[in-house]
Amino acid sequence: MALHPDYPLPDVDDPVMRPFWEGAREGKLMLQRERATGRVHWPPKPMYWKGGGRLEWFAASGRGHIYSYVVGHEPFLPAFRHLLPLVMVLVQVEEGPRLVGYMVNTTPEAMAFDLPVRVVFERLTERVTLPVWEPAR
Amino acid sequence: MTDLDRDLFRRIQDRVAIVGIGHLPFAKDIGRPVSDTAVEAIQLALDDAGLQAEDVDGMCMLEMEATHEVSIARRLGVEGLRWWSKISYGGGASCGTVMHAAAAIASGLASTVVCHRARNRGARTARPWAQEKVLVRDDKALHTPWGLIRPVDVIGMWAHRHMHEYGTRREHFGNVAIAARKHAQRNPHALMRGRPLDMATYLAARPIGYPLHLYDCCLESDGALACVVTSVERARDLRRKPVLVHAVAQASGPNPVHLANYNNTREMVTTSAFCAELLWARSRLKQKDMACAQIYDAFTPLVVMGLEDYGFCKRGEGGPFTEGGRIELGGALPVLTSGGGLSEAYVHGFNLILEGVRQIRGTSSNQVPGCGATLVTGASGVATSALVLRGE
Repeated sequence: MALHPDYPLPDVDDPVMRPFWEGAREGKLMLQRERATGRVHWPPKPMYWKGGGRLEWFAASGRGHIYSYVVGHEPFLPAFRHLLPLVMVLVQVEEGPRLVGYMVNTTPEAMAFDLPVRVVFERLTERVTLPVWEPAR
Repeated sequence: MTDLDRDLFRRIQDRVAIVGIGHLPFAKDIGRPVSDTAVEAIQLALDDAGLQAEDVDGMCMLEMEATHEVSIARRLGVEGLRWWSKISYGGGASCGTVMHAAAAIASGLASTVVCHRARNRGARTARPWAQEKVLVRDDKALHTPWGLIRPVDVIGMWAHRHMHEYGTRREHFGNVAIAARKHAQRNPHALMRGRPLDMATYLAARPIGYPLHLYDCCLESDGALACVVTSVERARDLRRKPVLVHAVAQASGPNPVHLANYNNTREMVTTSAFCAELLWARSRLKQKDMACAQIYDAFTPLVVMGLEDYGFCKRGEGGPFTEGGRIELGGALPVLTSGGGLSEAYVHGFNLILEGVRQIRGTSSNQVPGCGATLVTGASGVATSALVLRGE
């Protein structure tokens, strides 16, 4: 299905978020952590934060579980209308943070709290790939 | 809070008062630009106070206002502004306007400040979330590309988690919707007057963003509202009984994100919890002293969680707290006594400030007998604000 002309695409050139979006293009869920402590930061910090040498981006496992979810019905943004009822999720990834996403390959009825999920990648445009989630098998 | 903080805060506590309120009739579509309705609302508030435009030297409004302060000042007849400010975060800003005004007055930067909110977006096409265009940036890029855009869904994440974690039921959210609607029946200004709501109707409503349904959502409406803030010394010479600003707070909480604010702590806590901590630390009056509470209600779960965040019950007990008429007039803690955003009008919570003032004056259409103090809060989830108002 062609992308809706009003789809709210992210600015993938944002200096702070660029590694996240570049990683998604390559099929990786990229997160940021402190080199010394392993503490994961979400949302990511600018690399000059307390000395960028203390921060690094890394490929996360891509696994997590459902911390919360909502099911969107009309009235909804036209760009997402073909996906309704849209299952929007808050995924607690194994590395700690809770990320906003949406589910694919499932139904609202099959959703549950704590459901294990894994990341899959949805290519929206040549430059934008979105990490989304499906039930882990 | 340190002793120094407490001492500084005493410059504000009960030293500043709300002396006038005013608003235009609420409407689905007000049909006039905010540059016009804002001026009239402020004029009404000044009339209520017995003050003139010439007395005003400060102005505070929500950042989402399209009008310039100078334009409003000119149309009103203000001789010259010497202090102004605009506050971000939509419904999180409401009580913040009074806090900023109070700080300006207490510090001598201004003597009489008008705060207002004028809104003209009742038309469906004017919903900000329906106007998303390509390339979303900053905090919006953390949620919008996945379709999480509507406030109902942003808040739904908290609400659904609350249901899962604490066993909160739709009926609990329904108690909030029904209490607000009941109060609206006696409020001649409420848009939902004449349209009562019962639990069966509430439960049968269509889903908007499951688990939230139609009656969990506030109205889509227009309005223009204002209040006048000045020093307590000046207030005592005016027409109305002064409504004292006893405590004020703004808070973002840690690691704040606008809207997708889901990583502030290990437990996902709403911003109101952080605001409440500051507010009560600054307040001599406590929860038990509140005769009623105007808790920001863009969506019903915000009230259930707000009752917990502001310490009227323990975390997880907000749902059961709504039972047995406890939050209705005649109950232990009447909530949203004007009908709130759910049933009076949705104007980013500014109507809750006006209702707080009426309760202290003793002029509410759902008056709590002998109301000596009330809590007014801004939106949970976003960076927020809150007030404790009291009588002299």
